[in-house]
Amino acid sequence: MIRLEGVTVLYRERAALHDIGLQIDAGERVAVIGPNGAGKSTLLRVVAGLLRPASGTVELAGVRLDRLDRLAVARRLAVVPQLPTLPFATSVEEVVALGRLPHEHPVRGMRPGDRAAVAAAIDRVGVGHLLGRDARELSLGERQLVLLAMAVAQDAPVLVLDEPTVHLDLRHQVEVMELVGDLNTRDGTTILAVLHDIGLAAHFFPRLVLLDRGRIVADGPPADVLTPERIRDVFGVDPGFVRLGA
Amino acid sequence: MAAPLRPRARRAGPLASFVLLPLLAFLAACGPSAVVPTVPPGATSSAVPPATATPAPTFPVTITDDEGTAVEIPAEPRHIVSLTPAATETLFALGVADRVVAKVEDIAAYPPEADDLPVVATFQGVDIEQIVALEADLVIAGGGNPSFTPISAIEQLRRVGIPVVVLYARSVDEALAGIELIGTAAGAADAAADVVESMRADFDELAAATAGLDRPTTFYELDATSKIYTVPAGSLYAEMLELAGADPITTDDSYEISLEELVAADPEVILLGDDADYTTVDDVAARPGWGDISAVKDGNVLAIPEYVLVTRPGPRLADGLRALILALHPEALD
Amino acid sequence: MSPGSSVLAARAGPTGRLGLARRPVALAIVGLLLLAVALVAGIGGGTVAIAPGDTLAILGRRLLGLDIAPTWAAAAETIVMDLRLPRVLTAMVVGGGLAVAGAAFQGLLRNPLADPYVLGTASGAAFGAAIAVLIPVRALILEFGLLHGFAFLGALSAVLVVYKLSRVGASSPMTSLLLTGYAVSSLLAAGLAMAMYLSGAGLRQIFAYLLGGFDASSWGRLAVAAPLIVLASLGILLRARSLNGMLLGEEAAAHLGVDVRRERAILLSLASLATAAAVAVSGLIGFVGLVAPHVVRLVVGPNARLVLPLAALLGASLMVGADLAARLLGDIPVGVITAVIGAPFFLALLRRTRSGYEL
Repeated sequence: MIRLEGVTVLYRERAALHDIGLQIDAGERVAVIGPNGAGKSTLLRVVAGLLRPASGTVELAGVRLDRLDRLAVARRLAVVPQLPTLPFATSVEEVVALGRLPHEHPVRGMRPGDRAAVAAAIDRVGVGHLLGRDARELSLGERQLVLLAMAVAQDAPVLVLDEPTVHLDLRHQVEVMELVGDLNTRDGTTILAVLHDIGLAAHFFPRLVLLDRGRIVADGPPADVLTPERIRDVFGVDPGFVRLGA
Repeated sequence: MAAPLRPRARRAGPLASFVLLPLLAFLAACGPSAVVPTVPPGATSSAVPPATATPAPTFPVTITDDEGTAVEIPAEPRHIVSLTPAATETLFALGVADRVVAKVEDIAAYPPEADDLPVVATFQGVDIEQIVALEADLVIAGGGNPSFTPISAIEQLRRVGIPVVVLYARSVDEALAGIELIGTAAGAADAAADVVESMRADFDELAAATAGLDRPTTFYELDATSKIYTVPAGSLYAEMLELAGADPITTDDSYEISLEELVAADPEVILLGDDADYTTVDDVAARPGWGDISAVKDGNVLAIPEYVLVTRPGPRLADGLRALILALHPEALD
Repeated sequence: MSPGSSVLAARAGPTGRLGLARRPVALAIVGLLLLAVALVAGIGGGTVAIAPGDTLAILGRRLLGLDIAPTWAAAAETIVMDLRLPRVLTAMVVGGGLAVAGAAFQGLLRNPLADPYVLGTASGAAFGAAIAVLIPVRALILEFGLLHGFAFLGALSAVLVVYKLSRVGASSPMTSLLLTGYAVSSLLAAGLAMAMYLSGAGLRQIFAYLLGGFDASSWGRLAVAAPLIVLASLGILLRARSLNGMLLGEEAAAHLGVDVRRERAILLSLASLATAAAVAVSGLIGFVGLVAPHVVRLVVGPNARLVLPLAALLGASLMVGADLAARLLGDIPVGVITAVIGAPFFLALLRRTRSGYEL
């Protein structure tokens, strides 16, 4: 589904990503972890087509990313953004409806099918109780769920999450992770999530990709990736701090 | 501010020459467009011929106004609108008052018979709708740089088909020609010719009276409440002062003169053409920096009681000259 | 939030707005009616009293070709057809265009305080006009004088300069645009002050332009300005989807399928073109472009597909009304009327908001 080969991204003459090779098949659930500055966000932006690598290729569903226009990418890949600010009062439905942008008619707007998709996404993510409220007044956790619903409404086979649990309280963190897992197991959506909380990542994701200083140092199940040596090497902390769930 | 009816010219200065030439070239290349370049500032009256008019008293008639525009007047106007105080005076002097339907606001209103006319223009602007409602078929407007009557108003009136004659006198000859033009436009050419003939006789007589006399350097003050304003070189006022036997201190088209320039010119006579409500002879001596001027030291500061006579290019212009001579060379009038 | 109140909130409609929000057609009809009322009032009112019946009859005869025997004075017909009608139509087009441009800038810059002049169009136009007044040449091209041409060019040049300069900044493109717009505007304002100082008595002309007005309206000018403004506004309306995408920011917009660089350039150009044409024709009239989109958003939300056309209708009506008020109150400049009404209204809007200046 997603394939990166020999991807190198330069940022101010330094390699933010160095010779990245990554393959994610359809239906997989993958978390990208690593310390700050490892290149996680850069990797995400390359996958989403916002950054063009200096060398290497990126493929999405078998098509080279640089051959697709923004609209084509948006139909194949949805990104749950980090909590953006809204300049105007915007209702929850209106935010979720934005997810239909790649599908709706350019001039006439949403068709009945689009409206149904919005309603379905709101249901699926379970934010129906927030209907009618101004999105700017929701709690951080509620807002994140609404943004997730927006990405779901986008109806793309790939869902990318950019640090979805930052600023959330524990309850909402778990809620988001469980939802994401459900989307993957029940709907078959391919998931790629950038996470900073390795405990959460290990618990909810069957495959972890560990980045350090622009390179992939490990790629596989949590038990294989998060060995005590790796935790000490890459994160510089006592491995005893990290509790790996079952 | 004193006497809002005095036109203030723009400072043309260096900017004009810097921009004017390439701009004219650009505009010339722009295809069909009516480019009406104004007369370069500083042109003396003798270099500009008076506006022409076909002498035929019958209508239709085509007039070239002071801006060079050909104005067609299809029939004798029955609803004339005057947008300058000078034109109001002229129309009444020509005996066509019964055909004048509206006027511009006039601080120094004359003649009293015009008091009842509705006002359709003030310093704020021109009420085009009213003029159209009055079924105007001739409008006399004031020109100059900047235009006394707003250019947008002139254009609007012409756009709805009303003939507008724009007048602007830079000399006595032009003022007289303007009166003749009004006469032709209004269908009173003969009356105008009579008025102008009598005015010319007056001018000749008065000019002869001052011909050989001593010419004091004279500063004619238009206004000095904030900046100092006096007569531009090559203007109607400058010529009037010369005819009155004075050597006028002149400035450029901005009408502004600095105190330094004035003190350097050191006039022997100061004539106050200001509104007497704002400035009196006593005020002048009290002004800081003015005390060194010869005119002030010698007590030669004289007020002109009815200043509009001097500045208004209407039928009483000769009276204005007489008023100037009365102040400068009273003995010449005996 | 208790379950009961959430049900109530859901019943009240999106963020408690009127149920009308669900019926854009009804709103469009309301907007059109409002505009029609404004048009009729604008054509019927003026310093010269013309019987309403006569006004309608004149319009019917000249515009619809109805066979009505003229019982009115020819002067009345001239006033209605050649003075008032082009003036009112110009006000309508300018008001609508400024509202659409304002909505576009607000959406693009994600700033509720943005108005059509935020990127220097006003300062550029004023500066251009002042330069034109300093030049002692009178030219007339397509019924537009030097002043209008220079104002138009000044407005567009200012935006171009702002756009080019803002590319160098390190901050996000939109923040950079806003700040550069402010800086360039200040510089142009200084230039304007200098030009005004040098202008002597041409000052009166510059001031008249700055305060804005429709008294020099004519069919000829309308024929030039209207297509520009209308086409640019239509162009923006057709790109409502991109504006919607921008709601969550440029990066989220890209994720939603918006070609951000291209849409930003196109929307900026169209909005600037509409604004430049509007200020060239009628001077600097403020507040309509700022307030109309906000009022519409209060009713229908931020969906640009609804906001843009409805703001156009509201802006057009407001401008026609302001022009009528200006005429009846003794020919005050229209900009004064819009400021007097717009400023308190805007302050009231600000006080309603809950968080900062987000409206």
